[in-house]
Parts: sequence; C-alpha cells; structure tokens
Amino acid sequence: MRLDSLVPAAILAVLSLACQKAVIAPKPAPVASQAESQNSAPQLLQAQSIGAIQEYVDDPEVMKILSPKQAEIRATFDLPLCACPTGLFRGRNGEENLLGYWVTDIMRARASMILGKPVKFAMTNSGGLRANLPAGQLKVSDIYGVMPFENELVTIEMTGQEVMDAITQGILHRGSEPSSGVKLVLSGTVDKPDFLMTWDDGTAIRPEETVTVATTDYLYNGGDSIPALKKGRRPFTTGVSMRQMLLDACAELAKAGKPLAAPALGRYNIPQELYTAAREHKLGH
Amino acid sequence: MERRHFLASMAAAAAAAQLPLRGSEGSPASRITLLHTNDTHSHIEPFGPGNGQASGKGGMARRSTMVKQLRAAIPNLLLLDAGDTFQGTPYFNQYKGKLDFELMSKVGYDASTLGNHDFDNGVDMLLEAMEFAKFPFLNCNFDCKGAPALAKRLRPWIIKEFPGFKVGLTGVGVDFKGLVSAENHKGVDWISPDEALKPVIHHLRDVEKVDLVVLLSHMGYDLHGDAVDDLHLPKLVPGIDAIIGGHSHTFLDQPTKIQQDRGETHIFQVGWGGINLGRMDFAMIKSQVRAASGRPISVMASA
Repeated sequence: MRLDSLVPAAILAVLSLACQKAVIAPKPAPVASQAESQNSAPQLLQAQSIGAIQEYVDDPEVMKILSPKQAEIRATFDLPLCACPTGLFRGRNGEENLLGYWVTDIMRARASMILGKPVKFAMTNSGGLRANLPAGQLKVSDIYGVMPFENELVTIEMTGQEVMDAITQGILHRGSEPSSGVKLVLSGTVDKPDFLMTWDDGTAIRPEETVTVATTDYLYNGGDSIPALKKGRRPFTTGVSMRQMLLDACAELAKAGKPLAAPALGRYNIPQELYTAAREHKLGH
Repeated sequence: MERRHFLASMAAAAAAAQLPLRGSEGSPASRITLLHTNDTHSHIEPFGPGNGQASGKGGMARRSTMVKQLRAAIPNLLLLDAGDTFQGTPYFNQYKGKLDFELMSKVGYDASTLGNHDFDNGVDMLLEAMEFAKFPFLNCNFDCKGAPALAKRLRPWIIKEFPGFKVGLTGVGVDFKGLVSAENHKGVDWISPDEALKPVIHHLRDVEKVDLVVLLSHMGYDLHGDAVDDLHLPKLVPGIDAIIGGHSHTFLDQPTKIQQDRGETHIFQVGWGGINLGRMDFAMIKSQVRAASGRPISVMASA
C-alpha cells in the first residue's frame, strides 16, 4: 500500500472520530450573554448537551423475555379467519359506518339466537370500534384490533320512543352512532332538522311499543354518548364477549366458504351539511 | 468532609465534566435529564407497515437500548411514564398488562402513574399486573379508602436523591366519569387534581425542600375548556417545574412553558404508543432552574 494513501485515511479516521465525538458531546452551549447584558440572572441556553443515540437496535435482554411471548401471540393472532374483499371501514366525515353496521347486525342476530326471540334493534358506539377491517384475508389480530376491549353483549327492553331517542342522541353527540334495525332519513335545516325513523322493514316505530334491544355492557352501564340506552329495563348479560362474537361470525363465514360482505349503504341518510353541524354541536333539536 | 459537602463536590466535578457553566454566584449547576413516555398502550412491538407516520417506529426492545445508551452518557437521569400502559394490542389481551410492567422494569423505569385504561380490567387485575412492576406508581388524587390493596401500591410522592440535589415526584390521574365503568374502579374515588396537589407540592417544596418538582399527569394536555388539564395546572398549583403529560396523545415538538407564581412550568407530552421517547433537561443553580430544554427522540430503526 502506498504511504500517501495511508495519510488521508489517518486524517479521515481522526476526522470521523471528531465527528463522532461531536455527536456525543456537541460544542458546549454558550452562556447567554444576552441575558447578562440585560443585567438579569445568568441563563444557560442549553440545560444538558450530552447524550445522543448511537444506534437503534433491539436490546437483547428485552428480547430474551419478549421472544417467546411474541411466538405465542403470533401463533394465535396470525390464524386466518374469513376473506373480506372490500374491507370494512368506519367511514370518515359523514360516510356511513359500514363496520358499525356489520357489528350491530351481528349483535342483533347473536342476541336473537341466545334469547330465542326477535331482537328488533342493536346499537353500539363507533368509539368502541378501534380499527377498520383491512381488505383481504382477515386474521384473528384484525378482530382484536377492532374490539380490544373486554365488553359483553347485553340485551335490554326499550320503548320505541327510547330507540328513536338513542339514534337521535348518537347524531347530536357524535355525528351518528351505528345501529341495526332502524332506517333513518335526516332532512330539514341545521336549526330545525327533521328525524324520520322507521323499522328497517319500513313499518312505523310506535313510541309506546316495547322491543328487545342488543347493546354492550359499556353503553348500558355508563358510556356517555347514548344516555337513552342506560334507561333499558330487564338487562340480560349474555356472557358473550363482543370480540368472541365477531370471531365466531367470521369463523362461520369461513366454514361456509363465504366472504365477509359489506352491509348495504343507505341505512342512515344524513346530508353532509347536517352531519357537519352535528359534529360541531350546532344541530338544533 | 461532611457527606453533604462531599456529594456537593462530586456534583461539581460531574457538572464540570459535562460542560463548563458559570453563574454569577460562581456555583456549579446541577443537571438532570428526564426521559419519558406516555400512553404506550401495550405497543410492545414496533408499529407495523400501514400505520402512516408511526410505521416502523416504537418497540420496547429498541426503547431499552436507547435508554441504556443515554444512561451510560448522562449521570443524573430518571425514566418516567405518564400512564395508560394498558390496552391497544393483543399483548394486553393475552398478558393483561403483566408483560408491559415486566418489560418496563427491565428497561429501568424509575416511576409511572395510572391512566384510565390501566383500570380496563378492574382494580384486582391491575394489582395482579402491578406485581410485575419493580418501580413505584405515583398518584395523589385517587382516594383508595375502598381499595386498601391499591392504596398500599400507590405513592402520593417520592423523592429521588442525586449528588447535591433532590427531585420530588408526584402523579395525578383523570376523572373516571365517562371513561372507566364504576365496577372497574370500585373502591377508588377521584379527587380534583389541583385540590390533591396543593398539599403535596407544599410538602415537597417547603418541607422536604427538593430542588426540582416533577408531576406525572394523566390529565390531558388541553381539554379545550374549563376542565383541569396540564395547561391549567401550573397556575392552579404553583411550584411544579415539569409536567410529564399523557391521556390526550399530544405530539409536542418541545415543552410548553407557563409562568406561575413560583417560577416556570415546563409541560411535555410525546404522542403515544412509544413512537417517541421524551427528553427534558434541567440545569439548576441553588435550587433554581436556570435552564431547561426538551425534545422528542423518535424511536426508529437504525438505517
């Protein structure tokens, strides 16, 4: 090797060492002469100038504990469920919450199966659905993403009026909260909106009729966006976790060789202007 | 030489080794670095692809390496968390928070506080998970008369001693109303944090005479109203130097400074999910904060 090629290398080494050192301990911050010139107490511009991250790698001590748990998690949570070609989304800026429609449809069907009688209405809160379902093959972890909470399916009895109140409150408090069993058309103006609601077969909701309703223990016991649900009578805690209910529904589809299809649009018809007003708590009632 | 003087001289040596400082009093500055996280929500692994800005960031194993590097370089350092360790990934569903606290102990957390989601499985399950934590949980605004086992596990405040100075730490949590079901916080009542903090801050400042007061707050940064949040606390309870915040998942680029009757309060919060590690640095001369700085450090993969 030629000597002159070594020299620059040595210089480079010194330079790179200097650079590295500069990263670890940058030039001390000057004492603020500005503050002194104003004759006040001396100020230090920088409180601490040492310490910089050299590399971002996994700590082997943490990985020793984590690796076996990671394998356990993967074994369960990477298990395939059914296909979901379109994905299911909560909807943004007033788009319909198709994921919420699907979840509440399943709540209604499952509650009906458990009770052995028709369940006319189901409702949950969109805040409790923590993720969208991606398009493609669903995994167990996707359902955990949607429903991480340990909430249970609960049935209650409500009047037709209370059902309409629940939907109205969902709109006034959160823009809308997803439900199954009722069709809604919102019209009129921001100051004077008109809430038109029927059962999903088009028949009228009689304010005084009593119906069975499915919801979650969270909303029945104290969630704050839909107070009408807290008025429910004769509560029955099914013992079925909301998450297990969704996992079961996906497993059933997979068994039947069917994909998870998105529910039809048009359950809630809310004009954009009225939705925006509701989100800003400006919708009259 | 008296121990106190010896420690003071050690502090002087340590400070001098870091960077030359001077005050008109000629006293050396005491320095401390606070590293912190909030609302990690069981994000034990880094965020996977498809998570926007967070993709590939976070993860406790990497956070641990970063903390170890900083600990090796900085003599006076505390690692803190502002609550909501629980809920958010299958790790929580599977291990009920035990793994989170076990790993936090391994990483070397000095203290944490409780957020609303830490009550998601009720008080008994929280206590079970806390068995895995080798660090104290700070809270002064939960009345645990009806939950004596939890009362035993919570500390209203602690003091950490460093060569030549003392740091007082306390914690506050958000109102359970509308966030935690009555069943899940059975036996635990909420007290307004300003009311609960006043005697604690008075004790730390005027009786224990600590040099720096740090609050771990799970109140939220800005609740856009009259509700007590991190932006309201400094003026309501003067004498807090640093608020390490959580709950609102607020990404701040630098601490927010608020003037109060006893000085300045530096409020910081670094988003959520362990995407960032917060860092606040304080330099004190004679129990007075003379300089403070802070920034988030992105928890990312080596290039």
